[in-house]
Amino acid sequence: MSRLSIVVALAFVVAACGPSTGGTSPSGAPSASGGPVRGGTLVFAIWQEPVALAPHLRNQTVANVVARPVTEGLSRTDTDGNYQPRLAKQIPTTTNGGVKLTSDGKMDVTWQLLPNLKWSDGEAVTSADIKFTWQVWMKDPNTISRTGFDQIESIDTPDDMTAVVHYKTVYGPYPNNFGDGLIPKHVLENVQDISKSDYVRMPLGTGAFKITEFVAGDHITVERNPNYRVAGKPYLDKVIFRSVPSREAAIAQLKAGEVQGMWNLLESQTPDLEKTPDVKLEIYPSPSVERIEMNTAKNQDMTDPNSVHPVLGDINVRHALLLATPKQDLIDKLLFGKAKPGTSPVSQGWASPKSLTQEGYDLNKAKQLMDQAGWVAGSDGIRSKGGVRASISIVTTTGDQTRERVEQVLVDQYKQIGVELKIANQPSSVLLSGSWSAGDPRKRGSFDLVMYASSPGIDPHNTVFQRYYSKNIPSAANGGNGQDYTRFKNPDADKAIDEAGSTLDFDKRKSAYAAALKLLNDAHVIIWLYERAGIDARRTNVGGWSGNVWDDITWNQEEWYLTAR
Amino acid sequence: MRRLIQAVPLLLGISIASFAILKAIPGGPLAAYENDPNVTDADIRRLEHELGLDQPVPLQYASWLGKFVVGDWGYSVVSHQPVLRLIGERLPNTVLLMGTVFLVVVLLTIPIGTLTAVRQYSIFDHVTTGTTFAFLSMPTFWLGLLLIIAFGLDLRWLPLGGMRAPGAAGVDLIDSARHLVLPVATIALVQLGSRVRYLRASMLETISQDFMRTARAKGLAERVVVLRHALKNASIPLVTVLALDLPELFAGALVTEQIFGWPGMGRLFWDSATRFDYPVLMGILAVTSTLIVLANLFADVLYGYLDPRIRYG
Repeated sequence: MSRLSIVVALAFVVAACGPSTGGTSPSGAPSASGGPVRGGTLVFAIWQEPVALAPHLRNQTVANVVARPVTEGLSRTDTDGNYQPRLAKQIPTTTNGGVKLTSDGKMDVTWQLLPNLKWSDGEAVTSADIKFTWQVWMKDPNTISRTGFDQIESIDTPDDMTAVVHYKTVYGPYPNNFGDGLIPKHVLENVQDISKSDYVRMPLGTGAFKITEFVAGDHITVERNPNYRVAGKPYLDKVIFRSVPSREAAIAQLKAGEVQGMWNLLESQTPDLEKTPDVKLEIYPSPSVERIEMNTAKNQDMTDPNSVHPVLGDINVRHALLLATPKQDLIDKLLFGKAKPGTSPVSQGWASPKSLTQEGYDLNKAKQLMDQAGWVAGSDGIRSKGGVRASISIVTTTGDQTRERVEQVLVDQYKQIGVELKIANQPSSVLLSGSWSAGDPRKRGSFDLVMYASSPGIDPHNTVFQRYYSKNIPSAANGGNGQDYTRFKNPDADKAIDEAGSTLDFDKRKSAYAAALKLLNDAHVIIWLYERAGIDARRTNVGGWSGNVWDDITWNQEEWYLTAR
Repeated sequence: MRRLIQAVPLLLGISIASFAILKAIPGGPLAAYENDPNVTDADIRRLEHELGLDQPVPLQYASWLGKFVVGDWGYSVVSHQPVLRLIGERLPNTVLLMGTVFLVVVLLTIPIGTLTAVRQYSIFDHVTTGTTFAFLSMPTFWLGLLLIIAFGLDLRWLPLGGMRAPGAAGVDLIDSARHLVLPVATIALVQLGSRVRYLRASMLETISQDFMRTARAKGLAERVVVLRHALKNASIPLVTVLALDLPELFAGALVTEQIFGWPGMGRLFWDSATRFDYPVLMGILAVTSTLIVLANLFADVLYGYLDPRIRYG
C-alpha cells in the first residue's frame, strides 16, 4: 500500500518538473519593450564580500548569488519548490526506477547525466565527477556541511553517464543532495588541499557563465560559457558583480544607474524605491520566519532541561504572551506591510502545514488567562504568583533597528497584561554563534525570550528534527548538541518526526510534520512573528529576472537580458 | 641599534595583547554558519577542531607565533586563502590611496602653512585657519558621505565609489584618478588641518628668532630668508608628524575605505574583524605595529639629522 502512495507522490513531483534541459522560458514577465535581447554587460551590486565560491566551501548568501550561474548540480528547485533536473536527465524516483529501497532499510539512487555535457573548459562531464564530488565533500576537512553526503555509503559508476548512489538509510532529501554543484575531477584529482587552491575562488563549472576575474574587494566577473549546453543562452555576454560597501551604497548606485541589480533589501527601504522611476522591486515569499522562542527550563547557564522556568514554565503565561503580541500591527507599521503573520517554522514548500494557525492579538483574553492561572497584579501593575514576579528579559541581535523597535512595542504590550519585559541584546556573533563553547545563550539555556529568524531547507526534515525533537535539547550532558532551544519535549511529536524521517511518501511526511508542528504550537513555546519576504531590485531595462523562494536571485541568470531602455 | 633590539620585546608584548583582545571578543568565525539549515552541530564541532578553535587560547597564540616568526603567516579561517596573499592583493590599492593622500597633504601643507605664518593675521590666514579648523573637526565618515552626495549623486561629476569603472579593461589613468578624487579629498582635508597648524605654529616661532633677523640683516632676499632659513628649521616638527604617518601607507584608512568601497587594507581589516578571521587580523596587526615602532625610530633619527642639537644617549 505504502509503495503505491510513494509512486503517486513522486509521479506528481516529476510531472511538475518540466523539461529536462533546464531551458525553460523566463518565468518573469518579459519587459514591455519586447522579448530577450542577446548581448550586453550587467553590473550587479554585492554589498558583502564573497570569501569562497567552491560548492563545498561556500555558505554566505552573497557567495551563492555569485556562484549559482557558474556551478551546477544534478538538480535545482523551481519557484514552486519542485525539484528540477539540471545536469541529470530526470529526478530519480521510485516510479521511474531511479530509486530502489532495499530490504535492509537502505536506498539506492541512480542518476543519469544528460548526454554531451561539458565543463566550461571543454572537458566532458562524467559520472566519475559525481563520485568525486561526494569524495571531496567528505574528505576536505574544511567542508562546511556534510549533511546528506554523510548518509552515502558508496557510489558506483557502471558507465560514464550513470552513477548509483548507495545511501545507508532512507534519505528523503536525496533529490537535492547534489544540488550545489559538481566538482571537476580532471582539475582537482591531484590537488592535495583543495581548500587552499585557486578553485576556492574560481571554481570551474558547467553553468551559463564562467568566472574570468576575481579581484578581492572590488569585483568578480563572469562571462558567457562557450560550452554551455543550451544553444542561444545565456543572453548576456558578461555579468560584473561589483563590490559596494553597504546596502545603502548599492541602492544609491542602482538609482544612479551605475549598477543594474541588487538583492536582499530591507522592508524599510521599499517605500523610497517604489517611488523611484527606472527601478523595479521584486517582492516574493521567503522561507525565513522571524520568531520569539521562550525558554521553558530555568534560565541559567548550562540549564538542566528538566528544570522548570519560574515564569515561562507556566503554559498560561506563554499563551498570554502570544495573545499580547500584535503581529499584524508590527508588520503594518515596522515592515511596511511586506510580510505575513507566521504560523509555523515551515512557511513555504510542499511540507508547509497550511492549515496550522496561531491565535491573533487579544489583550483581554491574555489578561483573563493570567488571572485564571493565579498571577495577581501588584502595586506597580506587574503580576506575581507565589512570590515570583512576572519579570522576564528578551534578547535579540544588537544593531537591528526593526528588531529593536519590535522589542519596544512588546515591552509596552506585555506591561499591559502585567508582565515586565527587560531588553538585554547581544551581538549576533554571540547570540547566533550556534556554538556551545562560544557561549551561545540559546544553547546554554541562559535566556528567557529570544528573537531571531531562521529558515528551513526545501526539505524541512533537518530543521524540524534538530529543533523540535526532544533528544536535541542542548545540555552539558550531550555536549551542547541540538537546537531545541525552548526545551520543548513531547513524545508524540518525537514519534511523528521519526515517522516523517523514515519514509519517502510525501503525503505521509507532510501530515507527520503537520502533527508535530501542531503539538509545538499547542505548547505555546514559540511565537511565529512573521514570514519575511525576499526583496530584490533592478533597473527596469533588465528582463528575465524572477525571484525564487528556494534559491538565490541569480538562479536563472541564463534568462536575464538587457534592453536599451 | 640598541633601540632596535629594545623594540623586539615591545612588539612581542603588542602581539600578545592584540591576540588576547581579539580572543576576548565574544563570538567566533563559525557564527556565520548558524543560519544554514544544513549545517549540523557535528559540522560546527568538526570545523572548530579543524581550525584549532577548540584549543586553549595561549596554545593558539603559541602556534600562531611559532609559525609567524619563520614566515608562515597562516591561512584565513574563513576563505582558507594564505594571509600573505590576502594582504598582497590589497596592499597596492592602499599604497596608491594613502600615497596620494600623503603627497597631496605635503604639497599643500608647505605653501599654505608657510603663507599663513608669514602673513599672520591677514585675510588669507583667517580664512585658511577657519577652514582647516572646520575640516579638522569633521569626522571622515560624515565628510565622505557629504562629498559623495554632493559630487556623486547630485552633480554626477565623480563615481560614487570603487576603484575603477565596472568592466574597465587594463589601466585607465583618467578613470583611476576620477575614482581617487573623493576618497583622497576626504582623508586629505581632515589631515591637512592639523599639519597646516603644526607648520604655522613652528614657522611663527622660527620667524621671531634672532638668526632670522641676522639673515635679513645680511641683505638676503625675503624669499630666501623664508624658504632657506625659516622653513628648513620650522619643518622639523612637521617631518616628525609626517614620519609617523608612514604606517598608514600599509594600514590604510578604515572608515574612508569602507565608505568608498576602496579595496584596500582598511577594508580587509574591517571585513576580517566582522568575520573573526584571527590569522588575517593578527597578520595585519603585526605588520602595522612593527611599522609604527619603526616609524617612531625613523622619526627620531631624522630629527637628530635635521637638528644636530638633539642627541640620543
